[in-house]
Amino acid sequence: MSLVTLRDLRVTFRTRDRTVHAVNGVDLDLAAGETLCILGESGSGKSVTLRALMRLLPRFAEVQGRVEVAGQDVTRMSEGELTDFRGRDVAMIFQEPMTAMDPVFTIGQQIAETVRRHERVSRAAAEARALELLELVQIPSAKRRLAAYPHELSGGLRQRAMIAVALACRPKLLLADEPTTALDATVQIQVLLLLRDLQKRFNMGVIFVTHDLGVAGEIADRVAVMYAGRVVEEGPVSGLMSGPLHPYAQGLLGATVHPGMRGKRLTTIPGAPPALDREPTACAFAPRCDRAHDACLAEVPSLREPVPGRRARCVLVPDARAESPGLVPAGV
Amino acid sequence: MTEPVAPGARLPPNRRMDALPPSADRGGPAQPLLRLDGLVKHFPLKGGLLGRTQAVVRAVDGVGFEVRKGETLGIVGESGCGKSTTARLLMRLLDPDSGTMVFDGEAVGGSAQVGGLPLREYRRQVQMVFQDSYASLNPRLPIEDSIAFAPKVHGLGNAEAVRRARDMLAAVGLAPANFARRYPHELSGGQRQRVNIARALALRPRLVILDEPVSALDKSVEAQVLNLLVDLKEEFGLTYVFISHDLNVVQYISDRVLVMYLGEVAEIGPVERIYEHPAHPYTAALLASRPSMDPSRRRTAPPLTGDPPNPVNPPSGCRFRTRCPHAEAVCAERKPIMADLGGGHAASCHIANPGSGHSLAEKVAA
Ligand SMILES: Nc1ncnc2c1ncn2[C@@H]1O[C@H](COP(=O)(O)OP(=O)(O)O)[C@@H](O)[C@H]1O
Ligand SMILES: Nc1ncnc2c1ncn2[C@@H]1O[C@H](COP(=O)(O)OP(=O)(O)O)[C@@H](O)[C@H]1O
Ligand code: SF4
Ligand code: SF4
Ligand SMILES: [Mg+2]
Ligand SMILES: [Mg+2]
Repeated sequence: MSLVTLRDLRVTFRTRDRTVHAVNGVDLDLAAGETLCILGESGSGKSVTLRALMRLLPRFAEVQGRVEVAGQDVTRMSEGELTDFRGRDVAMIFQEPMTAMDPVFTIGQQIAETVRRHERVSRAAAEARALELLELVQIPSAKRRLAAYPHELSGGLRQRAMIAVALACRPKLLLADEPTTALDATVQIQVLLLLRDLQKRFNMGVIFVTHDLGVAGEIADRVAVMYAGRVVEEGPVSGLMSGPLHPYAQGLLGATVHPGMRGKRLTTIPGAPPALDREPTACAFAPRCDRAHDACLAEVPSLREPVPGRRARCVLVPDARAESPGLVPAGV
Repeated sequence: MTEPVAPGARLPPNRRMDALPPSADRGGPAQPLLRLDGLVKHFPLKGGLLGRTQAVVRAVDGVGFEVRKGETLGIVGESGCGKSTTARLLMRLLDPDSGTMVFDGEAVGGSAQVGGLPLREYRRQVQMVFQDSYASLNPRLPIEDSIAFAPKVHGLGNAEAVRRARDMLAAVGLAPANFARRYPHELSGGQRQRVNIARALALRPRLVILDEPVSALDKSVEAQVLNLLVDLKEEFGLTYVFISHDLNVVQYISDRVLVMYLGEVAEIGPVERIYEHPAHPYTAALLASRPSMDPSRRRTAPPLTGDPPNPVNPPSGCRFRTRCPHAEAVCAERKPIMADLGGGHAASCHIANPGSGHSLAEKVAA
């Protein structure tokens, strides 16, 4: 059974002065123990998608679609059920650790408090768990650090402490919103390797939002590329990095500076992503795509599957399922 | 027969710039455009009972290098190592505590009488672009007025300055008819950064200091701006100091690279040497920290542990020794000197210094 099932997720923000169609029909699945990266540029709807999984969006957000995590319908949970669900089944980490931590409590208190909110354990047992967690996330002198306040830690340690708080109750699903984006390269790789290790150890499902292809290359099993509130390509990380299918993903790969490009002109994607004041009714990438033609404007391209496990939302990508219906398993 | 024309009214476009022309080269191509020696900038940390200075942040602590004419010198290092402070010293937005700066043979900050280059003239020849694209644009002014501001201060007439602003907008790929009267908040981050570049170039500087100019931009926009910077350098004959924490971007754009660690120069050299044969263990670790870009060859162990230490109380001897996998007793006892490795490559590490006493250094015959 899949750990996460997202079907036709749509999120619209409507305020007095403007409307933003932030997410426009996202389908995603995550198996237990799998790491999925959501990759895309700023404003493409990554964070909103992630927050919808935990119902962390503001009240005025209009949310539609099916959101199931660990067999539960997140959209129908009561406030009490949500409180139990958050922290126990799913936890979230952020780019800025202070978003997730309380500045007036020590690291030890915050972990112990999280544990006691979800489990009937003694204070001593919760404190023991806190120490164990700080050791797990490889914070040096863990015992002493239990008494530290978040602001007393360096950037990398604070990130580790936030991970420890998130893992306090061994959630099945960890949601990570650019947790390494603000870190220096030498610290980023430490945190990525730590997350990879913890994911394996606890067989957690992880959805990791990033705008950095290199980060996805280090930790993802699968990648979903988002553009203008839709997934435009999805598949195993190796395929995406060696041969992206969607022109936007191809452009992104070409525009990402990597070693060996010196002296060559960088491929660019002209223009900028569309304003989302209206829901795109065609391929949202068409105004920037050098292969755009009439068919791209007729409707939103469907997700096509040229090889099993890889999908792209572009009219140029052949759909093996449609061309050889004999191969499609019954019921699909 | 031609009608009489007021002088200057019908200058061909290529002569318009002459009202505030680029400064002439002085010392010839071999003379460095900028030479820095022993630059120091400490920031006092206020605290304690009477607000007395308790300690200092050694943000830049004895930095020396030269910027060659026509090159792009990349500066890399982790946050807090002093890159922006160095940039602000280069721009003279900050005064150094000590150290000297020589621009094309003239001491910066002197007066013309004693053979120095007055700050006002220096500031015309050196311009800067910041990471925050809002930082140097007045939110209440249409962008062409922001761009025209410095040329006016430097004596260009109003109409001339506005014409210059529009020329610069065109040069950075923003059609003046469409963009000149827009306000900063009406632009995307990438467009604003183009405006900042136009503003920096409006005085026809010789040296442009770019402090993380693409770090806040999305990848597709970053590539556009990098291509633009390459084009402008060629078109206007510029020299760049390009600061970034992104090693791939620095490799792409730089001719030479300087690696900073805790307020000091760890290593400097031609880009190929630095990336293919780094001599300083810190440079090697930085390079090995980059994501691999190949999911079948992922990193297995982090090259360094911990965060960079605090520049308030840097370690004795070699400042990298608390994180260096090769640290030995000598590294705590003595500060390494810059070892000249030939071909313009130098590194501040005992291993690179024959006879330093480090077990990995070449021994010198007694
Ligand atoms: N609370 C909110 N109110 C209004 N608009 C929002 C809110 N949160 C996000 N948005 C808008 O939704 C779009 C998608 O945002 P987000 O998911 O944060 O993008 P990403 O994480 O990919 O950078 C953006 O246009 C953003 O401005
Ligand atoms: N105006 C200032 N007052 C006090 N400390 C400062 C000031 N500017 C920078 N610093 C400190 O100096 C050090 C170097 O900063 P900076 O040059 O901005 O580094 P970088 O650009 O490499 O991240 C940091 O520890 C920073 O906190
Ligand atoms: S559908 Fe058309 S416009 Fe969209 S990415 Fe494919 S070719 Fe380009
Ligand atoms: S001098 Fe010593 S501590 Fe410093 S980089 Fe070299 S080996 Fe490492
Ligand atoms: Mg986001
Ligand atoms: Mg800086």
